[in-house]
Amino acid sequence: MGLQKARGALLRLISVSIVCMGFAQAAPAGMIGTSYMLDEESRAASLSRLEVLLARKDVARQLEAFGVDRAMVVERLNGLSHAELLELEGQLDSQVAGGDIVALIGAVFVVLLILELVGVTDIFKSF
Amino acid sequence: MPALFVLVTGCASVPPSVGELPYPEHAIELEDAPFHPQERYQCGPAALTTVLEKSGAAVSLDDIVEKVYLPGRQGSLQFELMAATRTEGRLPYTIDGSLTAVWRELEMGRPVLVLQNLGVAAIPRWHYAVVVGIDAGRGEVVLRSGTDRRRVTPIRAFLHTWRRGDYWGMVVLAPGELPAAVDRSRYFEAIAALEQAGRFEEAALAWRAALVNWPGDTTALFGLANAQFALQDFTAAEVSYRELLQRDPGLFAARNNLALVLSEQGKHGAALGEIESALAENRDPDLEDALQDTQATIRRRISGAER
Repeated sequence: MGLQKARGALLRLISVSIVCMGFAQAAPAGMIGTSYMLDEESRAASLSRLEVLLARKDVARQLEAFGVDRAMVVERLNGLSHAELLELEGQLDSQVAGGDIVALIGAVFVVLLILELVGVTDIFKSF
Repeated sequence: MPALFVLVTGCASVPPSVGELPYPEHAIELEDAPFHPQERYQCGPAALTTVLEKSGAAVSLDDIVEKVYLPGRQGSLQFELMAATRTEGRLPYTIDGSLTAVWRELEMGRPVLVLQNLGVAAIPRWHYAVVVGIDAGRGEVVLRSGTDRRRVTPIRAFLHTWRRGDYWGMVVLAPGELPAAVDRSRYFEAIAALEQAGRFEEAALAWRAALVNWPGDTTALFGLANAQFALQDFTAAEVSYRELLQRDPGLFAARNNLALVLSEQGKHGAALGEIESALAENRDPDLEDALQDTQATIRRRISGAER
């Protein structure tokens, strides 16, 4: 009994010193981490940037010229995962490395790029 | 300073803020910033030890060398410096690439660890140093660099080498400190990385500071609740999750975690009710598996408790 008591005290002492030292601890099983919320935020920001791009007059006109419904493109964008959206944005960015993508490479190309990336490949049948 | 103007406009990738010199004309220098003369190639550990010590962390250069120095590469990578910072219970935060941003951190008493390229484009020579002072009047930057305790470099020469290091610079924050010019998502990512490194006490402090700066921010509240959960302060975690869900009942990730916290407290019925209603209402396919796992865990605990 006395030994067990001593062991208990020792264990408590060890656990206290671990907390004081601020060692790394394991996250509880099943807990959804905070990075989930950050991914969601970043996803929402990507979506709204792409929607703003699609709503631009020159881009919208081009979508119309191709006979593509913008709402449908937005719906497809909404169906993309966080990683896919980041990749799409990365591809758009890599064309111009910042700056106004539409002014730099033209509305036709931007529209084709987005349609290609969200998988609206039917568009190419009309060419 | 016409030379600076030519240098800055000569390259298209330079952010415009670097060319401006809006910081005051008076000088600032953190004379008490520690110094560790580097051994061969070990500028990364030496520079990191300087900024860690200045933030109040008790570290030794030898420990840091062991953590971040890659003998094969004869150097250290930026992400290793950041990871090592987290293992010391500190928050690494990358600042905006401008002298103004450096100035503002120095004003807060924080030296800035920077990546320079001292070579030429064809033969890069990467180097970490610590900016401890700026004297705009004399056009000088003061660095802890290599074997120099106080290396004074003309601002334009510094900017030249820093530009070729992609203007990478970081400060070390004690948990609860905010950077001088805080970018919300960058700061939040930094705290979430601390959480992923298992530093929940420090993460809790940092989220509390975030909640002072952004009152009621749901992400910060989620982060605090998670840290409390991980620290097994289930009562506090329950209060935080409930406050968060009052603000946004549609946060199914929070309902999942709340159900687990209720279950930890032995409130099995409430836990099961919470996770079942979350499962019924959730529309995020990414969360489906996690919610179902939680439901299974809670059911297992209930049948275990009944036995």
